[in-house]
Amino acid sequence: MRHLATWTILGLTLTFLIGPFIIIILAGASAGNSLAFPPEGLSLKWYLKVFTIESFRASFALSMALAVFGTLSALILGVPAAYALNRYKLPGAETVRTIVAAPIIVPGIIVGLALLRYVVVPTGVTVTLALFLAHTALVLPYAVRVVSSSMQNLRADMEEAAVLLGATRLQAFSKVVLPNIRGGVLAAFILGFVTSFNQVPVSLFLSGPGVRTLPIDMLAYMEITFDPSVAALSALLAFLSLGIVFAAERLLGFSRYV
Amino acid sequence: MFRNTREGLALVLPAAIFSTLLFLVPVGILLSEAFRPSGSWSLAGYAEFFSEPLNRTVFLRTLKLGLLVAGTAAVIGYAAAFCIVNLGPKSRGRVFGMVVLPLMISPVARTYAWIVILGRTGIVNGAITGLGLSDTPVRLLFTETAVFLGLLQLFLPLMIISLVSAMENIPRDVIPAARVLGASWLAVFFKVILPLTREGLVIGGTLVFTGALTAYITPAILGGSKVLMLETLLYQKVNVSNDFVSASVIAMILIVMSFSANLLLKRIATARS
Amino acid sequence: MKLSLSLLALSCAMGGTAMAADRTLTISVYSFAQDEYKKALYDPFEEICGCDIVVETGNSVERMAKIEANAANPVIDMAVISTQDALSLARKGLIAPLDAASLPNMAKLYDSAKDPNGDGMSVGYTYYASSIVYRSDLVQVDSWGDLLGPDLAGQVALPNITGTQGPLTLMMLGKAMGETGGLAPVISAVGEKADDIVTFYSRSSELVQLMNQQEVIAAPVGRFAWSSFADAPLPFAWAEPAEGQAGGMNVMVMTKGNGNEELAYQFMDYWLSTEVQTRIAEMLVDSPANKEVVVSDEIAANLTYGADVINALNILPAADVVDNREAWVEQWNTEVIR
Repeated sequence: MRHLATWTILGLTLTFLIGPFIIIILAGASAGNSLAFPPEGLSLKWYLKVFTIESFRASFALSMALAVFGTLSALILGVPAAYALNRYKLPGAETVRTIVAAPIIVPGIIVGLALLRYVVVPTGVTVTLALFLAHTALVLPYAVRVVSSSMQNLRADMEEAAVLLGATRLQAFSKVVLPNIRGGVLAAFILGFVTSFNQVPVSLFLSGPGVRTLPIDMLAYMEITFDPSVAALSALLAFLSLGIVFAAERLLGFSRYV
Repeated sequence: MFRNTREGLALVLPAAIFSTLLFLVPVGILLSEAFRPSGSWSLAGYAEFFSEPLNRTVFLRTLKLGLLVAGTAAVIGYAAAFCIVNLGPKSRGRVFGMVVLPLMISPVARTYAWIVILGRTGIVNGAITGLGLSDTPVRLLFTETAVFLGLLQLFLPLMIISLVSAMENIPRDVIPAARVLGASWLAVFFKVILPLTREGLVIGGTLVFTGALTAYITPAILGGSKVLMLETLLYQKVNVSNDFVSASVIAMILIVMSFSANLLLKRIATARS
Repeated sequence: MKLSLSLLALSCAMGGTAMAADRTLTISVYSFAQDEYKKALYDPFEEICGCDIVVETGNSVERMAKIEANAANPVIDMAVISTQDALSLARKGLIAPLDAASLPNMAKLYDSAKDPNGDGMSVGYTYYASSIVYRSDLVQVDSWGDLLGPDLAGQVALPNITGTQGPLTLMMLGKAMGETGGLAPVISAVGEKADDIVTFYSRSSELVQLMNQQEVIAAPVGRFAWSSFADAPLPFAWAEPAEGQAGGMNVMVMTKGNGNEELAYQFMDYWLSTEVQTRIAEMLVDSPANKEVVVSDEIAANLTYGADVINALNILPAADVVDNREAWVEQWNTEVIR
């Protein structure tokens, strides 16, 4: 009985969440020339066409690099911050939390515009560097909050005990704290990665000649043609991400931590 | 708690300085434009913004949809998260993967999928006319319903993830123990689950509400110009009328709304525990 | 492995601009048909000038915003935009007057393309007509007034006022209604019928999708989008309304103080040449503004081609749009969007 209820709830939720994804896969496999469901016949031509579009290759590489390095930098800044916010009595801790969380709350379009007008233009940094910095800042709140949340229920006395028993602070952190927040760090990485990878409004203004992130490139492509290749590309990207989650599960036992 | 303040600050400051320089300063300058529409400091920009009926409508609509999406996401999120944490390790990983999956798909593509689903010849209308609920297709696209569905689908995973990672920290035996002691499910929820997951709810609620407020693509595509939200109005102000004063007024409103939501959620969460 | 690949990609992306050839021309263009432009225009020009062309694409509002933001140190050397965008850039002092002597091919253009805004700041390179595309099996459209008529109630989309097509549609609606007092009464008329209009679209690709899904069965659109409809399996037709077709022009402009004027002029003149204009027309990308271009009847049928067609277009002066847009949007927001 409880089993049934559990799976009904999960089934409905997952249908709502995944259904559009199935539709996108099938719409991308259409033999026709426009996005439709059910598709007008099946064919892989749009999936193949994606690989022939040169700008998608360049923008994919850029988005991938931004997502990986932006998220890593955010974790390098964010994990120590999350740790300190939970373990130290700091004056103005709440202020720091708010400052770090700010990027989530500010509408992306304003952020992109502000960075273009008051950072890129006056300092002359390249658009690519500006994108990297912007994406790091965007992911930082997720890094701090998710890691924070997984640290919150971790008892501090274990770590204190380790220190009392002669471990250095660094040892206590790496032997006691880190193994327990690994799930949180991984979740933060995945969350940060997708946030960065799919980010639209901030990157809208931060693109220069020849430099453009993948979602912006997709939007631009869709602005002129409405063939199913964008659906096909989205499906391919989702499979790629699925592969990453699967690998995380396989290699690190993702589900044990989340 | 460690009391070595200097050490703590050394850990926290890099993140804080980074965010300040790259976010607070440039955004602050931009936002300040709303307070000096004609060179001198004043609130005239705000007064003017709220004097227009359309702007008020858009403001209220954004607030309503944001609350609706966050509320619905919380209800579904608790149910789904509770189911997920009680699964065996294997299926738990799989289900969790499927919850994360939509986040991997570009919001651009997910939104376009809804056009196909909600259109006149789409699945939903097929079901409605097929079941004889209506003779003619119902207009679903370019309505608040379409925007609501699109936003919910976009942000529900964030709520589920936040709640799952909060719930996994509830000691395994607490809920059965409460049940054995005669607590109803409702009591268990409010006395045990909610207090122990409040951090997750605050994070999830803030993420979903803020996400719904500041999403651009979904209202732009599913609502179009007939169902304007603050973010689409903002885009119009920046890109069409080059009206940076109104744009920064809207940005300020959105920021204030998000912060208030965050504070309110924290207050509610603490009050109940 | 993945990490090192990404690292490589990032370093390439960051080094990309630095490694460009000595002479580089940076242009800002509409995003459509880039493959065709590359073949017909960019590649041959790179061959001639021995330089590199860097192309920035995007919709015009974003491109305009970026030109404005980078005004102090222009990234873009030349841009192609609409006449009204050219006028607003000119008024903001962001573009430079064009030197006719540097553009010998200008003499071959139709007169209205030589200096569309009368300020010497832009030159037209293509014309387009705007009319109504409709489902010929479901409805018949003979007048712009039909857009607000009972046959199309609940099944029609109009272009949003914020785009180029919006004001054109309103102008033609006004003509059909016999209005001569500007667009204000027309906006009010649209406002009264707002519930009958499915949506106000802002991108023509969006409209292609809506028409293919039968969400709408008629809508005004620019001729440049016609090929997307002509290829579709459904019976779409291009209306010949009693009031005639609306029309517009896209122009080239030179950013002020970009330091690359010589190369930019060379490129602009090449684009206006009979050779290039013919190639682009034959690919059905842009209708020619060069009157020496000769194409087959079959090609011509898909373009806005020839002196007769071009002279009959109802063109809305750019100054009208720039001067009134803010008021129109405000009235539109109050009476139509509500």
